Amino acid sequence: MAGISKNIMSKSPWVVHVNCNSCNGCDIEFLACLTPIYDAERLGIINVGTPKQADILVVTGSANYKNIDVLKNIYNQMPEPKVVVAVGACACTGGVFHSCYNVIGGIDEILPVDVYVPGCCPKPESIIDGLIEASRILEEKRIKIKNPDKGVAI
Amino acid sequence: MITLINLKILIKLLLILILPPVIGCILSGIDRKVTAHLQGRVGPPLLQPLYDVIKLFNKENIVVNKYQNVYVITYFIFVVLSLFMLLMKMDFLMIIFVYTIANTSLIVGGMSTGSPYSRIGSVRETISMLAYEPILLFYIIGMYMLTGSFKISKLAYTNKPLLYYLPLIFIAMLFIMTIKFKKSPFDFSTSHHAHQELVKGMFTEYSGPALAIIEVAHWYEYVFLLGLIFLFWYTSPIIGLILALITFFLEIVIDNICARLSWEWMLKFTWTIIIGLSIANILFIYLYNVKIL
Amino acid sequence: MEQIVLLLLLIPLIFSIVFIYSNKKLYKPLSFLMFFICSILSIFLAYKGSLSIRLTGQIFKISEGIITLSEILMILYLFKISVKHHKIGIFILTVIQTIITLFTIFTPDKSEILTVGIDKFSLAMLLIINIVGTLIVIFANGYISEYEHHHGIESKQKLFYPIICLFLSAMNGLVVSDSLSMVYFFWEITTITSFILISYNGDDEAYKSGFRALFLNLIGGICFGVGNILLKKMLDIDTLSGIIQHGSISLSLMLPVFLLCIAGFVKSAQMPFQSWLLGAMVAPTPVSALLHSSTMVKAGVYLIVKLSPAYAGTRLGTVIAIYGAFTFFICSAIAVAQRNAKRILAYSTIANLGLIICSAGIGTGVAVSAAIILIIFHAISKALLFLCTGQIEHTIGSRDIEDMTGLIRIAPVLSILTSFGIISMILPPFGVLVTKWMSIEAAGSNPFVASFLVLGSALTTLYYTKWLGSILAYPVTELKAQDKKDFCIFFPLWALGFGVLMTSIFITPIFNNFVSPEVNKLLKKSTDMYIKRGEVVSKLGTFNEAMVFIALGLVVLFVILMRRLMISSANIKSIYMCGENNFAEGENYFRSWNGKYEKAKVSNLYFDNILDEKALTTFGYVVSSSIIIICLLGGLK
Repeated sequence: MAGISKNIMSKSPWVVHVNCNSCNGCDIEFLACLTPIYDAERLGIINVGTPKQADILVVTGSANYKNIDVLKNIYNQMPEPKVVVAVGACACTGGVFHSCYNVIGGIDEILPVDVYVPGCCPKPESIIDGLIEASRILEEKRIKIKNPDKGVAI
Repeated sequence: MITLINLKILIKLLLILILPPVIGCILSGIDRKVTAHLQGRVGPPLLQPLYDVIKLFNKENIVVNKYQNVYVITYFIFVVLSLFMLLMKMDFLMIIFVYTIANTSLIVGGMSTGSPYSRIGSVRETISMLAYEPILLFYIIGMYMLTGSFKISKLAYTNKPLLYYLPLIFIAMLFIMTIKFKKSPFDFSTSHHAHQELVKGMFTEYSGPALAIIEVAHWYEYVFLLGLIFLFWYTSPIIGLILALITFFLEIVIDNICARLSWEWMLKFTWTIIIGLSIANILFIYLYNVKIL
Repeated sequence: MEQIVLLLLLIPLIFSIVFIYSNKKLYKPLSFLMFFICSILSIFLAYKGSLSIRLTGQIFKISEGIITLSEILMILYLFKISVKHHKIGIFILTVIQTIITLFTIFTPDKSEILTVGIDKFSLAMLLIINIVGTLIVIFANGYISEYEHHHGIESKQKLFYPIICLFLSAMNGLVVSDSLSMVYFFWEITTITSFILISYNGDDEAYKSGFRALFLNLIGGICFGVGNILLKKMLDIDTLSGIIQHGSISLSLMLPVFLLCIAGFVKSAQMPFQSWLLGAMVAPTPVSALLHSSTMVKAGVYLIVKLSPAYAGTRLGTVIAIYGAFTFFICSAIAVAQRNAKRILAYSTIANLGLIICSAGIGTGVAVSAAIILIIFHAISKALLFLCTGQIEHTIGSRDIEDMTGLIRIAPVLSILTSFGIISMILPPFGVLVTKWMSIEAAGSNPFVASFLVLGSALTTLYYTKWLGSILAYPVTELKAQDKKDFCIFFPLWALGFGVLMTSIFITPIFNNFVSPEVNKLLKKSTDMYIKRGEVVSKLGTFNEAMVFIALGLVVLFVILMRRLMISSANIKSIYMCGENNFAEGENYFRSWNGKYEKAKVSNLYFDNILDEKALTTFGYVVSSSIIIICLLGGLK
């Protein structure tokens, strides 16, 4: 029972996946995580459709003027505690599209990104690694919300 | 003496309240595990549904309609009540009426959020309600014709299982179970798999604790629905249990080998063939005047 | 006692005359006065219990004279309108009716007795007519002026109120009379008042519907008249209680009873005759509520239930049960494809009347109890729903249930009352569901009846749930009462809503005082069921009404307890629109592919292609007419 109350968040991180005009390379790699070979569900990871039920926001592609509102909206619609994972070079820094006329840069220009998964595109293993790291941060954030005074260093 | 009886009832009540969600949780875990194995995956741990629910209770409570959670509470309480009444062997028709309150509440709750996705999900759920409700009622009428009573407690005095004379209705019930478990050919009102078209159907706007309550209510509902199958072989509880479990595994297999169908197809199929089967079964009992009491 | 009965007949008449001669300002206080007097009188009468009065000698002569005179006046009126509007059908029917009337006048009643018999069932009907009816008159005060304004018709209120009062008086007369000739007389008055009220708008459509109603109801009236004469000649029965005393009638003598049943079918708009009730929806909503849902159509089923001892347990009874169940099923199916709220309610009314007829036809104690209870509960719930629909129409200017989407934002109080009305029609623990439970259990042994009931009740849930969902579909963050505050409108609505709740909670005394004695009297055997401690217990099963109420209480308790956790602490967010929400325009707007803002529109499913109204109606005509014709030709032998 102690185990149940300890890692509440990290045992079932539900993921919502947002494509910010990425080239679909990272998206396919992300979806590969859910396939039988990598089987992310064994870690309790489920790809849900609505941000209202998600814990982790996985963003692929760079932040640009077209999708800035969408990304903010979706982030706002997620319940606390929540974590943002930037998957791929574009999401981390803007990648090859960096300093294009319509590109703002990495996702961290808009949202507080917790985990960066670099690569173009990152391998499924590293994405899963990022998600595990994200779920650890998720648990820390929950404890922080529960006891606001104590504060745990992230 | 009185206190003893009261204690007995109290323990019974507690068992009814506590045991079903445990069973339901494990069933739901088995479902996910078996599904994973059928797809060549390892799958989540058996208690994954429990972890999900605990996590959901710890999430922030966000709503779009201030009163949307009232519907969830109504749904939960009436599902528990219908299961309670089933276990107390009360009037079968009454149980289905109470169960209807639960489902209607969920549908209206989905609609009340005003979200287009949940509205479509709710409308589809009303359609599936239209599909399964008659079959449940035909099942009840079949039982009444065989035992001469609407009370489930009368089944204890029967000398033959219901399945013996209600085979067609049993097939119809298997069909209905797929709709009720929201399994694959008919998982169009809400499911994880349908999120490309409907996000999460009826539950799109539900999150955190409300979703957790819905999930726990589903565990009760699992037991309730399998209880309906169990009644087909009430005379020997062990066979009844085996029947219920076989049904459950069959539903998981069906879930994994079927693609999703449209609601039109489902409605046409249930309102022609499935209802036809049920009426044929009832007519047979009527014409041959079979009694098993 | 006799005086009270007389008062109940006279007071609406007096008010009718007062309404003619008073000016517009006085309508409101007069309606309230009528409500108070009529409801107090009817409650007092109900408290005193049943009685039977025999009018003989001088009084008989006077009342017979009044009846004959009024009948001649009515016939003259019918001739007048049929000539004025060139309606040959009405003219021919009036001629036939004249023959029947002349025949009854010239074959004088040797017994020289008219009986007024008030039994428990009549008392329940009196309560409904005098309380629900007068509440609807109050509602009309807030409604009718605006209605006339909307439709741009000149004020006919000088006609409206007197006719409604005349109608209430006639209904009171109908349910208190025991002599079939008196019942017939009041029956005809309701037909004519209903014609006048349906053609209230005065346009072509209104007259068309009015004449259709008149035509069909005259046919029913003729069946009634012929049945009356035959009953007198063949069996020497001229009262309703005579039928009860006679008990089961052998099949060869069943024809007059069946003719009376047809009169009942027409009055309660059963399948081949249903078109008049749908046409009648052009009338103002208070008229629809009063005549076409809670009182007048109930006259038909009232008669059929009263006749139940004649056919209980016979083959005719089974046929009537199948006929009623079929109407229930087919009308529920048609209602699914309707978008107009008033038409939905009309079809639902026909369906429920079919259910009542079906229960009466089954003829067991449980079934007949179900029929009587359903008459009571349906009247209150339907009156509430009709009035709400009328008020919604004035609030949003539409009767389409798609336009009612998100009504809760515009008019929360009205929406909650409407939702409550709908819930009381489809969900336990409310009265209508108790009767549905009783009728399904009673029908269990006949698979044909049971199948129709099962399929019909699933369809009923569907079309009401759709409507309920539409009304509540808006992400409300706060319920602000923005409804127009008009006491005349909301007093009847609240009173009816309260009535639905109270009658459902206090079903035990209602059953014990009104239903059970009546069934004992009708069927000369016990009801085979009782209601105790909130449980409806029959030999077949138990309806745990109290348990559902307790669960509802638990819901309320939970909501209050978890108020902080589930409701007030909840953070309100916008709905999910793939992130493309538009906060400036409103909740349902999103940014579409070209950057413009569009409204997300989702509508309910209506199955117009499968459940086509025309095709289903034709099918219904064929089946129900064949049931009646087969019954007339072969079944009665």
